[in-house]
Amino acid sequence: MKIYTATGDRGKTSLFSGERVSKASDRIEAYGDLDELNSTIGALIAHLPSDRSDLSDELQRIQADIFMISAWLATTANSPAVDSLEPIEERQIVFLENAIDRLEDLLPDLKNFILPGGHISAAWAHAARSVCRRAERHTVLVLESSGDDEPAEQLKRALIYLNRLSDYLFVLARECNRLHGLSDILWKKS
Amino acid sequence: MEQRWLSKKTFEIKLRRPEAFNFKPGQRISLKYKNLERDYSLASSPDEAHLTLCIRYVAGGLLSQALGDAEIGTGLSFYGPHGYFTIKPSQRPTVLVASGTGIAPFRSMVRSGAAPEFILHGVETSADLYYAEELAPASGKYIPCLSQSGDSQTYFEGRVTDYLRRHLPSQNYDFYLCGRREMIRDVTLLVDELFEGSFIYTEAFY
Repeated sequence: MKIYTATGDRGKTSLFSGERVSKASDRIEAYGDLDELNSTIGALIAHLPSDRSDLSDELQRIQADIFMISAWLATTANSPAVDSLEPIEERQIVFLENAIDRLEDLLPDLKNFILPGGHISAAWAHAARSVCRRAERHTVLVLESSGDDEPAEQLKRALIYLNRLSDYLFVLARECNRLHGLSDILWKKS
Repeated sequence: MEQRWLSKKTFEIKLRRPEAFNFKPGQRISLKYKNLERDYSLASSPDEAHLTLCIRYVAGGLLSQALGDAEIGTGLSFYGPHGYFTIKPSQRPTVLVASGTGIAPFRSMVRSGAAPEFILHGVETSADLYYAEELAPASGKYIPCLSQSGDSQTYFEGRVTDYLRRHLPSQNYDFYLCGRREMIRDVTLLVDELFEGSFIYTEAFY
């Protein structure tokens, strides 16, 4: 299998379900955001302490989930390509919720807004969080023009996943600072 | 494994199919031999006792050359299957377009009962139409597109894109494209231009 075929040189691309669409369409925006999210998470993983393979494993599992959500975004209603895709499952959302609870237990209560930043890993986690929010907004846009079909059902679940993932990345950013002995940077009125 | 030469540049290899191994027509496997690894589409149907691969012999192409020269009975390992290049049920007519050994997955599909409206096979000479006898009766129209036929009465002379542009009736289709990436690019851009609203599935070999 070759990486490039140059079929997208004129601004169109092929969906997983076979249609040719504009690269500026909502679907492409949405899974482009997920691609960016995955890259950002990759940068975050690269800055984690080397003895925290548990966190990098957790994040790689999330990257795999994001891949799957991208495939659903690349698949239109009534497409037989649906049969090749894995459903997004409740357990994947529960996995995030459990991880959030675990991290929150390690962190002091938050009574203020915080400013993104601190250790470089925390800064990447915040960057990932904001890309995740954008992916979520574009997924809503795709859903708003979808009917009641299988891909739409999966995207509804993807929205829950992305909403939870943003929260996870927020607490992970705080945890990254804590791991490096840094406090949250609290927002103060200037 | 054993080889069978189909033309000067193309050979088949047959592998014993492991009992638990299943695949869908159109999928590929990753073949490993002498520390080399490459993906090949299966050309046989999932019901057959053997797995057949259709390989273009490339002088200097490390794995194809090693396989072409390998002794019968040589043990090979593989893993898979991979890929999503499978026929999707559709209301639109199916057009399969291959260049060279890109015909392999289409042979698997046809041997498994697919009846596409069109099969186009772009090759150099009529000696490269190794699966013609099998594919012609299985499709509405089997169209070899030869770059050097020397017999324009029998064969269409020109590239697959030339045929599509001149002869394919204007409507929406499901296109399946397999083979050289230049062919895939050219057909895709032609579909965008002349058959807008069609669906395209692709597998690029080389």
